[in-house]
Amino acid sequence: MRESRIYTPEAIEDESLPGLPGANDDPLKPWDKTTVVGARVPRIDGQDRVGGTAVYTRDISLPGMLHGVIVRSPHAHAMVKRIDVTAARAMPGVHAIVTTESPEAKIPWTLTARGAMSQLFDPHCRYEGEEVAAVAAETLPQAADAARAIVVEYETLPAIVDYAAAAKPDAPKVHAAGNLPSPPRTTQRGNVDAAFATAAAVVERTYHTSCELHTPLETHGSVAQWDSGDLKVWDSTQGVYAVRAGLAQALKLPISSVRVASPYMGGGFGSKLELGKYTVIAAVLARLTGRAVKCVLTREESLRCVGNRPANTITVKVAAGKDGRLLAIDADLVGASGAYPTGAVSGYLMLDLYTCPNVRVRESSVLINAGQARAFRAPGYPQAAWALEQAIDELAAKLGIDPVELRLKNVPTVSQSRNGLPYSSTGLADCLRKGAESFDWSASRTRAASKSHIKRGVGVAAGMWGYGGEPRATVIAKLYPDGSLNINSGAADIGTGTKTVFAQVAAEELGIAVDRVHIEHADTGTTQYAPGSGGSQTVLVNTPAVRSAVAAVKQSVLALAAAELKKDVNTLSVRDGAIVIAGETRTVPFAALRSLAQAQQVVGVGQRAPHPTDKVALPFAAHFAEVEVNTRTGEVRVVRYVAAQDSGRVMNPLTFENQVLGGVTMGIGFALTEQRIMDGPTGKLASGSWHDYKIPTAMDFPFAFTWVSVDPQDKDCNSTGAKGLGEPATIPAAAAIANAVHDAIGRRMTDAPITPAAVVSALATTGRR
Amino acid sequence: MLPRFTHVQPTSISDALRELAAPGARVLAGGTDLLGCLRDRAVTADKLVSLNALAELRGIREQGDGGLRIGALTTLTELATHPVVRARFGALSAAAAAAASPQLRNQGTLGGNLCQRPRCWYFRGDFPCARKGGDTCFAKEGENQLHAVFGGDVCVMVHPSDTAPALQSLDAKVRLISARGSRTIGIDALFVLPAKDHTRETVVEADEIVSDILLPPPPAGAVGAYRKIRARGVWDFAIVGAAVTLGLDKKSVRQARIVLSGVAPVPWRVAEAERLLVGHELSAPRIEQAATQASSGAAPLSANAYKVMLIRGAVAEALSDVMGAR
Repeated sequence: MRESRIYTPEAIEDESLPGLPGANDDPLKPWDKTTVVGARVPRIDGQDRVGGTAVYTRDISLPGMLHGVIVRSPHAHAMVKRIDVTAARAMPGVHAIVTTESPEAKIPWTLTARGAMSQLFDPHCRYEGEEVAAVAAETLPQAADAARAIVVEYETLPAIVDYAAAAKPDAPKVHAAGNLPSPPRTTQRGNVDAAFATAAAVVERTYHTSCELHTPLETHGSVAQWDSGDLKVWDSTQGVYAVRAGLAQALKLPISSVRVASPYMGGGFGSKLELGKYTVIAAVLARLTGRAVKCVLTREESLRCVGNRPANTITVKVAAGKDGRLLAIDADLVGASGAYPTGAVSGYLMLDLYTCPNVRVRESSVLINAGQARAFRAPGYPQAAWALEQAIDELAAKLGIDPVELRLKNVPTVSQSRNGLPYSSTGLADCLRKGAESFDWSASRTRAASKSHIKRGVGVAAGMWGYGGEPRATVIAKLYPDGSLNINSGAADIGTGTKTVFAQVAAEELGIAVDRVHIEHADTGTTQYAPGSGGSQTVLVNTPAVRSAVAAVKQSVLALAAAELKKDVNTLSVRDGAIVIAGETRTVPFAALRSLAQAQQVVGVGQRAPHPTDKVALPFAAHFAEVEVNTRTGEVRVVRYVAAQDSGRVMNPLTFENQVLGGVTMGIGFALTEQRIMDGPTGKLASGSWHDYKIPTAMDFPFAFTWVSVDPQDKDCNSTGAKGLGEPATIPAAAAIANAVHDAIGRRMTDAPITPAAVVSALATTGRR
Repeated sequence: MLPRFTHVQPTSISDALRELAAPGARVLAGGTDLLGCLRDRAVTADKLVSLNALAELRGIREQGDGGLRIGALTTLTELATHPVVRARFGALSAAAAAAASPQLRNQGTLGGNLCQRPRCWYFRGDFPCARKGGDTCFAKEGENQLHAVFGGDVCVMVHPSDTAPALQSLDAKVRLISARGSRTIGIDALFVLPAKDHTRETVVEADEIVSDILLPPPPAGAVGAYRKIRARGVWDFAIVGAAVTLGLDKKSVRQARIVLSGVAPVPWRVAEAERLLVGHELSAPRIEQAATQASSGAAPLSANAYKVMLIRGAVAEALSDVMGAR
């Protein structure tokens, strides 16, 4: 509901939140050696997820449950003049209809500092797919038929979907106040103009990236059920607490009366961090009918309405001295927010990826008549990397310095955006070195050029992620008489495997097997607060709290054992689900402890400690790609890839690899295939299916794929040593591919995606661009 | 969500043809195209007449003359893997293998592949386009990067089939049956240009079924290939494709057929390019010449001039494949 927050730089404030009460008591030292953490532990819920027994939101079926279907504007810009529900109301199975004329329509939406910009059902439709009515019926087909029978008369208005044109004063206005919701924001340090005057080499170019659509495998949806005045919602969400807060506000309920659960979740990538209208609609229909209501979006709705990675136009100018040290970066970033304001660009990489004394970043976002941009796996970063990392590549060529070497000359050791605080570890240099070694970079670069029409090229790009996480999470651990352990955490496992990692951390700390740990999670009615599973923060924010809770359990069970066994507690430790007594060969299994059986449970509460105040812990990456470009057909294939990641401790190589593989796949989509295509005159989506909106397939992923972890055993970042991974794994990928394409064909591909059309068109231009 | 319809599965061809004679009835074979069209509301249907119980419409049979009779319900996977098709009708097996994805090829049939509806995003999307009875071809002034450079008229869609150009390169015939009787036509006569009728892609009438595809014996010294240029590695339609079937006598080309996909509302044969090959050795310069000729006369729209280059590329690649495989 609130303005979507792009993770930087406002979000840096989140990182400095103080600890919760108890968070700083007896801080745990980082592990020296681990046995379960770092092991290749298969997902604890893998069998359920692939076997079909995992219950996702759309699988939930409650007694008497109705089905909700939403009526959406077919026009990109229109005013609802009249809605006739007479025919729909008379149709079989229909229980309730809400429209722009219902009292519930007025629930405020898109809350900004200047007030609400819209409402639940807004007669002013600002993009194709905006909600105008909804139906609840006994069956889904009945609801869908009734929704189609609702007659909506629209007055169509001029629509604008081209964001360059939308920024001009005479463009059709998405909102009365115009298409520039806030003035451009400029961030700068040093004296950029003076630095350019003294530089040995300067490059400047304008880059365009395409809008990418969110396509999580599980579409967005909710089930709502009222019990007296209390609301329970099952929602496919990354953040049950954000949804709960939004629902409480939208429906004017106390937070304590709203319960939101997300037991299994089929992907979100940033599009499920906030409350969606479908959730409120399900709750409203459920309240009107006194029945539970399920409202799950179709893929067609999902492609239009749940968010996107906004298209960016980025002009970047970079200067360096003869020695390769960066002197100045000047960047102008413009992005398309969609119909409501969202930070559509991020210049963070320009500010902080490299040591550079003079930087100026100008960021602006433009409203258009299209679905709203949302957080999308590293919001703004892959776009910025696409521009910056191609510029660095071009600069390296101009200076005659190897692109890896040039980057190594400019690796930062302090966070320039955080008052020069040092990094807890700067893995960027290691990522570049170890990645280059694994890729055999030098030899690959100097290989003789192909004489055939298929050209090979290699490219490198670097990246970092500028958000360290909101350091507040509570976890409760309960040890039961049989030695099994319950971990209670509010964090959603959005498909990344965090439940498994939590179980590993708990097993490690208590000396029990992973299969003795049960994870109870993501239910505001029963679990403890955790921030949304986004921003690459889930593991690094929550695992220290898991560890701390289990450490408290361990302390308590050792105390119980000491009393029962009449030993000094300092002579006791835990291993293999048992108490170990120093100097004795016998061990006492937890299940054999009478005192534990009598206690029924031992409870430990863990709080995430705040981030260190004297250091900054952030993840880095360097990616290396080899491509084949067919100069006859314009086809580009990524044939070899090395992703080097500094994300601190590798908690589980299986889930780690999975994140990197997924991040690189998304990078391939960004670089080569994915592109929202809108019909200009109507403002409607042309690429409205999975055929026309092309996510990459297994056949687009390189057979030769390697990931390299730069695991500096970061002792300063937190008590488990983990930094974020999900987002840094995708940030440099597309830029590395673009640089490889340049190496192959000598053309700078400024626009993403690099389609066959783009390649043959670039090759038709003469000479090296 | 799918609209409401009834579904019948007749067990004899005569029952199927009778069911099909009812207004609002449509043929259902693999369903990979029809169900999507219904869901997109690009087409309507009151009744789906499933052919899936009709075993006589399945299978590949060798004919006494060296040709093939292919039942219309034969799946693309069967075509792609059949040893005789692979050995002697290379363009067809290559085209079938290049279509869609493994799952879709297991389900999709050859008859369905020929009768599939356009993939144009305006036709499939919520746009009242000319082919659906509206008065506008939205692609003409709109997003036409994937559209026709040949043969466009009131509609500039491209025919989406991979197998159709391959079959045309093999000089195939198509047998159509209905309660009224049967007819056999050349595959080039199956498809309809928009100038003639922009609301249909084939001459197949509503009460007709494509029952068989008939391949004459391949030319002496036959070699064939299908080169499909697409935006991703699998599960994608051709941006441009080229099917070639050549009859070679030692090094010399005696017979040549080149048919393009992804460039016109029908499979597009490039006879002038074929003529440049006949009587000549298949050398690299000759290939380039034919490839260039194949694109001549193209009339690109605002956003698809690149297809002229891709036609050259696809033809050159297909001919190079043939030369390499020889």
